[in-house]
Amino acid sequence: MTDLNRRTFIAQSAGALSAVALTPSLASAWRMPRGAALSVGVIGVGRQGRQILSELEKIDGVTLAAICDIDPSRLDSGQRRAQGARAFADHRALLDDPDIDAVIIATPTHTHREVAVDAISAGRHIYCEAPLAHTIEDCRAIASTARASAKVFQAGFQGRSNPVYNLARSFYRSDSVRDLVQMRAVHARKTSWRIPSPDPDRERALNWRLDPAVSLGLAGEWGAQQFDVFHWFTGNFPTRIRAGGFIANPDNRDGREIPDTIHATLEFPGGPTLVYQATLASSYEDEYELLCGTFATIKLAWSHGWMFKEADAPTQGWEIYANKQQFHTDEGITLIAEATKLAAQGRLQEGVGLEHPPLYYALQDFVKSCVEGAEVATSVEAGLRSTVVGILANRAVMTGEVVEVTQQELAVG
Amino acid sequence: MTLPDPPGAQTVIRLAIAAMGTRFELALCAADAARARAIGELALEEIRLAHERLSAFQPQSLVSRINRRAGAGWTVVDPDTLALLEQARDVHARSGGAFDITLGPLMRAWGFRDAECDAGAASAARRLVGMGMLAIDAPSRRVALAQPGAELDLGAIAKGHALDLAGAILRAHGVRNCLLHAGTSTALALGAPPGASGWRVALADRGRRLGPVVTLRNQTLSVSSPSGRTIRVDGAAHGHVLDPRAGAPAAGAQCACAILPAAAGACAGADAWSTALLVCAARPPRAPAELTSLTLARHGASWRIDGPASSTVSLTCDQTSPRHAGAREEIPA
Repeated sequence: MTDLNRRTFIAQSAGALSAVALTPSLASAWRMPRGAALSVGVIGVGRQGRQILSELEKIDGVTLAAICDIDPSRLDSGQRRAQGARAFADHRALLDDPDIDAVIIATPTHTHREVAVDAISAGRHIYCEAPLAHTIEDCRAIASTARASAKVFQAGFQGRSNPVYNLARSFYRSDSVRDLVQMRAVHARKTSWRIPSPDPDRERALNWRLDPAVSLGLAGEWGAQQFDVFHWFTGNFPTRIRAGGFIANPDNRDGREIPDTIHATLEFPGGPTLVYQATLASSYEDEYELLCGTFATIKLAWSHGWMFKEADAPTQGWEIYANKQQFHTDEGITLIAEATKLAAQGRLQEGVGLEHPPLYYALQDFVKSCVEGAEVATSVEAGLRSTVVGILANRAVMTGEVVEVTQQELAVG
Repeated sequence: MTLPDPPGAQTVIRLAIAAMGTRFELALCAADAARARAIGELALEEIRLAHERLSAFQPQSLVSRINRRAGAGWTVVDPDTLALLEQARDVHARSGGAFDITLGPLMRAWGFRDAECDAGAASAARRLVGMGMLAIDAPSRRVALAQPGAELDLGAIAKGHALDLAGAILRAHGVRNCLLHAGTSTALALGAPPGASGWRVALADRGRRLGPVVTLRNQTLSVSSPSGRTIRVDGAAHGHVLDPRAGAPAAGAQCACAILPAAAGACAGADAWSTALLVCAARPPRAPAELTSLTLARHGASWRIDGPASSTVSLTCDQTSPRHAGAREEIPA
C-alpha cells in the first residue's frame, strides 16, 4: 500500500468532527500473533539498554532471555530489572545460547561492528542502535554481513517507526508542504555528557562519547538520528556540509576536545538546506525537526507533531475541526495518529502525543519483522547512509572544512 | 524550604531539574568538580526517569498505562515501581487509611484537576477509592486496578521515591555530603557541609512564618501542608490534601513534618507519612518507631513533636540554639 493510499480524508456530515485517518496498522494496535514468541538478548545495558529493557517488557510475547554488559555494575542493575534473564559479560557467550532468536545491540557506537558481525554470523535477528558505527568502513562491514543473512537487520533510527512521523510523512508525500523552503533540526540538552562510574578506573571506557578517537560527537551521535528523518521524508541526501563548534558552557571546559555546541549546514539538491544546531549547554527547544514549505511547515518533536498551514494553501475542510496549538503567532494543527477513530469516539484530545516513547514503536516494528516477516522499518542500507552523513558532519565540525558528500561515500558496498 | 549555603572551602556543585511539577535541587560537596557534576547529573536523570514513569499527567507514563487499564487487567511494572506501590500500601495500613494512592477520582471530583468541584461526582468517586482497588501480584511483578474509573495518583509519595533513587545513585558513587530536595516538600541530607554538624533546613508554616530549623544528617525530611493549591466551595477555602477516610479535604493539621533516618525507601516513607500526619493531625499508633513527627495544629501556636525517645533530630526555634527533640516536646511556632 502506498503512503498516499494509506491516508484518507473522512468528512463526516452534520458538523461532526472530521479528521485525518491513518490505518491502524501504523500505530499501537499490533499484537503478537497467537502462538508466536520471540526470545531476545540485549547486549549493552547502559542508559539506552535500560530504556530498551523497559520498552521490551511492554510487548506481549517477547521474552527477555539474556542481557550482556562488560561493566559489572551495569550488568547487576540490568539483572535487577530483567529478572529471570541470563547475564553475560561477553557477547559471544550470549550468542552461544541457542534459545535466543534476536539480539538488540546498545553498546558504544565504536563497538557495534564487532558485536553486530558476530551476532549476524551467529544467525540472529539484529536491532542495532543508531548510529550504525563510527567509521564508514565499519558501516560497510556491518551492511555486507547483514545483506548476506536471511535474518532481520533493523537499524535503530526511530523516526521511521513513529506513528506521528508516518502521518506527517504521508502529508509531506501528498504535497501538503509543496516546495521545500528550508529544513531545520535542533537537539538541546544541558548536560556534561560525562558518565561517572562507581569504579573510577572504568570511567575512561564509559566516556567514549568524549574521546575524539572514537566519538562521532553531537553531529554523529544525535544528528544522524535526526538527519535520517529528512532523508526518509525527501528521499534525498545532502551533497555538501559546512559546520563548526565550540565549548559554550565553561563547566564543560574540563579538558575535552569534543565541542559541546555545534552548528552545521547540510546542502540538499535543488537548493534547500538543513540547518542543524545541537548543544549540551542549554535545553532550550529540546529536540525537533522542521520542514518548511511554500504551503505548510511540519514540525516534528518525537512524541508530538504539528502542521502549520499557509493562509493561501488549499484547505480540505477538516482543518477547522482539528486539534490546534498556538505557538506565538503561528497556529499548529496537531498531528494525531488514528484521528478518525478517536474523533468518532469523541476522544480526539487523548490522541495528542504518543502513547509510548518513540523507542517502543521501533522495537515493536523489529519484533513484527522477526515474527511475521514484515518489511524492516529501517534497513541496514538506510541506516548506513544516515550514519555516513553523521560521520561526515562530525568531520566538518572537527576540521572546520567543507565536506563533500559523494555517491561513493553513500554507497553501501 | 530553602537551600543553605554550605560553609567551608570545599567545592560545592549545584544542579537542578524541573520534574513532578516542582524543582529538584542538589548541592553536592566534592573535591573533583567534573566528576561530582557527572554524578549529580546521573542522580537527577534518575528523577527525570521516575517522573516519566510515575506522572499521572503524561500519557506515556507507566502510571497512565495502569490507569488506562483500570478494570481491564494486569500491567507489568518494574521492580522500583512494585516496591513503591507495596510501600504505599504499607503506609496506608499503618496510618489507618489516612494515606491513599487511589485518591485520583476523588481529587478530580473535588476540582483539583481541570474540572469544577462536583458534589455528586465526589460521592460517586468515593466508591472508586480505597486500597482494595489496587491488586498487587508481586511474584509476577504486575498490578491492576479493580474497576474502570479507578486511578493511581502518586503525588504524595513519588517525589520522595525519586529522591530515594537519586540518593542511591549518589551513595553508590561515593557521595557522602549532599543535600537533595524536591521543591518545598521533601529533602534528603547525607553527611554535612564542611565544618557543620548537619544540613539546616527551615520549616515555614502556612502563614510563611519561619518555624523550627531542623539540622539533618543522614536523614530525610518531608513537609505537608494544605496550602498551595486550594479550591473554594460555598465560600470556604479547601486545601489540596484530601482525607481518604472522609472523602473530603483534610481538616487535621496546619502543617506536618516527617523525619526518618536515611535508608532505602526512607524519602518515599517520609513523603507519605507527612501527608498521613497532616490528615490525622496526630501520630497514628502504628507509625514506624523511627519516625519523628512534627505537627502544627490547625489553629495551633506550637509544634508538637513525637518521636523515638533517643531522637537524633536536632531542632532550633531561632536558628541559634539547638535543642534535641525528645518525645512530645513542644516548640512555639
